[in-house]
Amino acid sequence: MSFVHQEVWHWQIATYLFLGGLGGATFAIGAILHLFEGCDRKMLSIAVLSGMGFMGIGTIFLLADMLQPMKALYALTNPSSWIFWGVIFINFYFLMATVYVIPLLRSWPKLVLIVEIIPDPILDLMERFNRLAALGGSAAGFLVAIYTGLLISAAPAISFWNTPALPLLFVISAFSTGAAYLLLLSTFSKNDYAHKISEKLEQLDAGLIVTELIILGAYFNFAFFLPTGARASAAELFETPFFVFGFMGAGLLLPLAIETYSIFFSKHSKQSAGVVITASLLVLLGGFLLRYYVLHAGLYQYPW
Amino acid sequence: MARYGMVMDMRACVGCQACMAACSMENQTPYWSEKFRTHVEDSAHGEYPNVRRELLPRLCMHCENTPCLSACPTGATYKTEDGIVRINYDRCIGCYACMIACPYDARYPYDGDDVEKAEALYGSDCSHTMPHVDKCSFCEHRVKSGLEPACAATCPTGARIFGDLDDPNSEVHKLSVSGIARPLRAELGTSPKVFYIPA
Ligand code: SF4
Ligand code: SF4
Repeated sequence: MSFVHQEVWHWQIATYLFLGGLGGATFAIGAILHLFEGCDRKMLSIAVLSGMGFMGIGTIFLLADMLQPMKALYALTNPSSWIFWGVIFINFYFLMATVYVIPLLRSWPKLVLIVEIIPDPILDLMERFNRLAALGGSAAGFLVAIYTGLLISAAPAISFWNTPALPLLFVISAFSTGAAYLLLLSTFSKNDYAHKISEKLEQLDAGLIVTELIILGAYFNFAFFLPTGARASAAELFETPFFVFGFMGAGLLLPLAIETYSIFFSKHSKQSAGVVITASLLVLLGGFLLRYYVLHAGLYQYPW
Repeated sequence: MARYGMVMDMRACVGCQACMAACSMENQTPYWSEKFRTHVEDSAHGEYPNVRRELLPRLCMHCENTPCLSACPTGATYKTEDGIVRINYDRCIGCYACMIACPYDARYPYDGDDVEKAEALYGSDCSHTMPHVDKCSFCEHRVKSGLEPACAATCPTGARIFGDLDDPNSEVHKLSVSGIARPLRAELGTSPKVFYIPA
């Protein structure tokens, strides 16, 4: 039996999976914050706009990796394909995000004039259904985030990917990167209420990292016991320093330690902002490394 | 309706690669980039002096349960009534989802550079005029007019036996139900229509 690396999807697709998950989760968590915490509209609008930006850039990476990107609309043909659903989810995401964010833009004095171009009845309608759009948006964000994992788990011959643990891992990691990104934004927010939101986000992110560690443990335990390519993939990842020290060390354990310290001991003073920013950036880096290395470690098990 | 399939008699394969050459000519595959629709894997096993050479000709297995077709978002990958899995070049966007999904490494990208070379080489006879993902079609165009696929027709040792798996009188049918000929990686549930008789 021989194992051969998949040579089809490289860093461009890893970037797409990372940015798609990040964009999806940023909107989903932001919208949930809005619904239950009622946080500051300026920060939320930046979060949602950048979420859309991440998603847009991610999609460009995907298109750039295709042979015929101009024909991408054909991808709405076969509902048994995960890419079909990805296109649906991403469009739903952009629709919800646009409807949700426009009323929020009124909180920016400089943007008011642009927003006012939209006829009042429509604006009022958007304002009235803002919470509904937030709800729809958090669903859309979740779907996009989990789709990134479902897409690559649909490869029967790559046993390391072909497991339900992978979409789960990707969705939790996506939400962790989303929480970290929002945490980053909140440390820059001038709103009086921002430190409260930071605290919540920090707790959320720490919880998500712990969940991610548990899933990773189960995933690798499972992979090591399979007499297949999954074991070879897992073994290979454990011999990759950038995966062990980069993703697991710097991308998970270190930010978890920083956040735990911050939750229990530092009270979000100005001085502690630096470490929180570091933790957030590390989580983002970890999110990318996870996808890059999981894609890289995809091994076909050939019968020859 | 026929249900076309192939049996590879590994006892007969000598690794001459005539099938690869015939297929390349017939289907204009980009041999210049070392991409083939059918490939004869040639590997050595064991330690000197107990070394064994293993040959394994492979191609698209025209699976009954097609992971490539399920993964294809555009419907470019489709199945004919005869069970042949084909690609509509015009619809293929080259997203590679099918290549990831195929367990048999049967597909390759016919990229922009390959199309350019093919057009220069074959002129108005060029059959690949746009980038797409490509793979074996069981030479459907030949089969339709009563011929065998180019690889089977060329094989000097008769190692490739092509025919209708549902026709009780056909050799492929007899071999496929004999138990001697087996598909590759049956455990994946893809139900390939290419069977191998071990050497
Ligand atoms: S061998 Fe691969 S390309 Fe051919 S039908 Fe099966 S999955 Fe599809
Ligand atoms: S590369 Fe072409 S044939 Fe393959 S899944 Fe994408 S659109 Fe379908």
